[in-house]
Amino acid sequence: MDDFRTKFIEEATELIEKMEDALLKLEQAPDDENLIQLVFRVMHTLKGNSSMFGFEQIEKFTHNLENIYDMVRNQQLELSEEIINTTLACVDHLKNMLDESNYEDSDFMTTHNGLMAKILYIANPDANSMSNAGSPQPDAAGQNPTSSDEQATFYILFDPNDSIFANGTNPLYLLDELAELGQIKAYAHFNRLPEFEAYNTDLCYTYWEIFLSTDKEIDEINEVFIFVESDCKLDIQKISDVNILHNSKFIEEIEHIISTKNDVGIANALQLASRSTSQVKHAKAEVVKKERINTRDKNASSIRVSSDKLDSLMNLVSELVITQARLSLFDSQHDIHGLTPIVESVQKLSRQLRDLAFGIVLIPIENLITRFQRLVRDLSMELHKDVEFIAEGTDTELDKTIIDNLADPLMHILRNSLDHGIEDTNQRIARGKPAKGTVKFKAYYSGASVIIQISDDGKGMDPDTIREKAIQKGIIAPERKLTKKEIFDLIFLPGFSTATKVTDISGRGVGMDVVRKKIANIQGEVDVDSELGKGTTISIKLPLTLSIIDGLLVNINKTSYVIPLAAIKKIYAIDKDLIYKSFNNLITLDGEQIPFFSLRKEFDLPPSEEQLEQIVMVNFEDNYVGLVVDYVEGEYQAVLKPLGRHYKNNDIFSGATILGNGTVALVMDTNKIIKMFAHINH
Amino acid sequence: MEPLTSNKSNSYLTFKLGEEQYAAHVDKVLNILEMSKLTHVPKAPEYMKGVMNLRGAVLPVIDARIKFGMEPTEYTSNTCIVVLDVDMDGDSVHVGAIVDSVQAVIEIKTEQILPLPTLGSRYKAEYIIGMAKLDERFIIILNMDAVFSADEITKLKIGADTTPIADELAAEETSAETATGEKTE
Repeated sequence: MDDFRTKFIEEATELIEKMEDALLKLEQAPDDENLIQLVFRVMHTLKGNSSMFGFEQIEKFTHNLENIYDMVRNQQLELSEEIINTTLACVDHLKNMLDESNYEDSDFMTTHNGLMAKILYIANPDANSMSNAGSPQPDAAGQNPTSSDEQATFYILFDPNDSIFANGTNPLYLLDELAELGQIKAYAHFNRLPEFEAYNTDLCYTYWEIFLSTDKEIDEINEVFIFVESDCKLDIQKISDVNILHNSKFIEEIEHIISTKNDVGIANALQLASRSTSQVKHAKAEVVKKERINTRDKNASSIRVSSDKLDSLMNLVSELVITQARLSLFDSQHDIHGLTPIVESVQKLSRQLRDLAFGIVLIPIENLITRFQRLVRDLSMELHKDVEFIAEGTDTELDKTIIDNLADPLMHILRNSLDHGIEDTNQRIARGKPAKGTVKFKAYYSGASVIIQISDDGKGMDPDTIREKAIQKGIIAPERKLTKKEIFDLIFLPGFSTATKVTDISGRGVGMDVVRKKIANIQGEVDVDSELGKGTTISIKLPLTLSIIDGLLVNINKTSYVIPLAAIKKIYAIDKDLIYKSFNNLITLDGEQIPFFSLRKEFDLPPSEEQLEQIVMVNFEDNYVGLVVDYVEGEYQAVLKPLGRHYKNNDIFSGATILGNGTVALVMDTNKIIKMFAHINH
Repeated sequence: MEPLTSNKSNSYLTFKLGEEQYAAHVDKVLNILEMSKLTHVPKAPEYMKGVMNLRGAVLPVIDARIKFGMEPTEYTSNTCIVVLDVDMDGDSVHVGAIVDSVQAVIEIKTEQILPLPTLGSRYKAEYIIGMAKLDERFIIILNMDAVFSADEITKLKIGADTTPIADELAAEETSAETATGEKTE
């Protein structure tokens, strides 16, 4: 039973989040019927689930809440801001209700009763309609022209034998029956009509081509003609899986053919239909996009898997990759006939499996956005600031572990932006800015990294103030000269908080240093840029995944190292004299001056005895930097393992990996390595 | 030291660094390995000898001699890596410690553990749980959590004095003739 309860809580949490998301969207578009339906449906599901698992309080609570939305969707009640505010408060309360231990808390019960009374009050003015609550609206779906989603369009050729009148059949009745199935367009053809003298009133000369859009199956259409099957030629074919009769172009073209007194024919019908289908679908896709409802989630058939299982899967895949490396090594050392192709297949399969397993644990960053929207909404109300939250690139996908660890630091940054960044409305107007402040969240891919930017158009940071403060706090010496970037970097130092007044919202002792630390824990980097009076942008750079990377295995002084492949541009062979005789650490490659570092030298190792070395060109900021190694061993799929807490101060390696021969190779963080060496040398 | 509960084992692993004998509670010891090839991590402190593969995980290895501020020596066939499970800010962390040789697992009863001598201020109390005298030799019982989670060289004594602690203690004991050190057997 406990198992079921856990499952219920898991599902309910998800439902509540979904509801919150829909409510926030509804606030922007209060007339959107689809959203109202969605909110209603989610509440209904939640109610059903909670009654099934014995969460009576939640059932009762949601039941009353549901009534309100039932009235809203039946247009008996207008969706006011008050309703949305109350519902959002209820959403918060519902989250707490999942923890039954809360029921003993008197504060909790006060909130509970207060909200309950409020809900009843909202629903009360129209108490009579309560009896209707929950009963579905008759015919709502059938008459609603927008509900064409499940409809298909059929082409029907109905060509009765001329003797059909003899058994008392009136073909027009059949057409009426067809019309009851859905929307129809029928075209009668009279081209078989004889001259008046030859006309026999007992015979049928007419035949029809009919287009029918219906949500019924083809069998039901056949049933209409069941009594005349033997008396006519009948051809029923599905020409489109959407309703294309709304498409004016399709109708126009059909009518054009009809006007030439020709039959449309199944071939033409199919051709025209397929063209219109894509148009209709396209239009629909756009509508859906506008509604900002994620149909992808709805349509994708998916299953629910516990994240523990996914973690185990990833671990197993990692082990497999390591074992496969051992196998490859064994193969290269032993000449066993027929082994190599097998090893190569295993290598290919494990790579595919790895990529697939990765895809599974990647989730869109969208999962965080609802929380942020809510935060911005609530905070801006609390601070009496008018702030708009814009989120871009929310479909950017990241490793689940990264997303889980990202929420807190991002919340903190957002709080800072709202509290310290965005000015009061009056101040903004005085400074000639739009009264409404903007906080923008943007995520995008950049190579093997994901960049997340949070920017506000607030007052920005003053480098001079920060500098003074740092001097005052003894963080830097007064005589030290710093660039603007270095000054902004100071805010990430422990014990540095620019807020002169500690508020409830930000500046609770946890500063930007914690943000940086938390992001560093997931291998990320934080940067800040700001312009006084214009706003601040915080950029976070994150790896796509934490567990396996494609790397290049290089050798330095008989030790293997891994350089992430994503950072590498090119590899050159180079004479060692060029390296050791260079004064300014610059080398000309492909006609360009490239700064380089000899890793032997930087790692405090003796110079190489070989004449030829190799230089690996890697991305650094917007340029390239060469890293000199003894030689390149080859490509390697590196399963990243942490170096452990004892090496926490050593950030030039992002981790280690275990090679096929069982030894450990360090994985370089090229950015940090270059930064560190550039710093030392200057 | 707080009074120990009866179910906590009194077993200690003793090992040698130079002339000194040290003991670590067996609860802290996971494994004893032969010295094997380590992957050196550039730019790390000298006592951080590198990392090794321990059943698929990456194990950081510390040279205990350097860590304690002693002179490094060549590794011999007696050199061992003691795999420890230490507590770092509440998390359990595995770390390997290179020691000159591993001696034995012995029983030291709680009442046999003596507090730091009166001149204890000369020793860094946070690293040493106490002493035990067995077979006329002093064994220093280390607080492995403190020693191996510290970020620096953890000299056990303050100042540049390099006299072996045991010798000093023995000398101290004979001169002071205190009744604290009860002999075993």
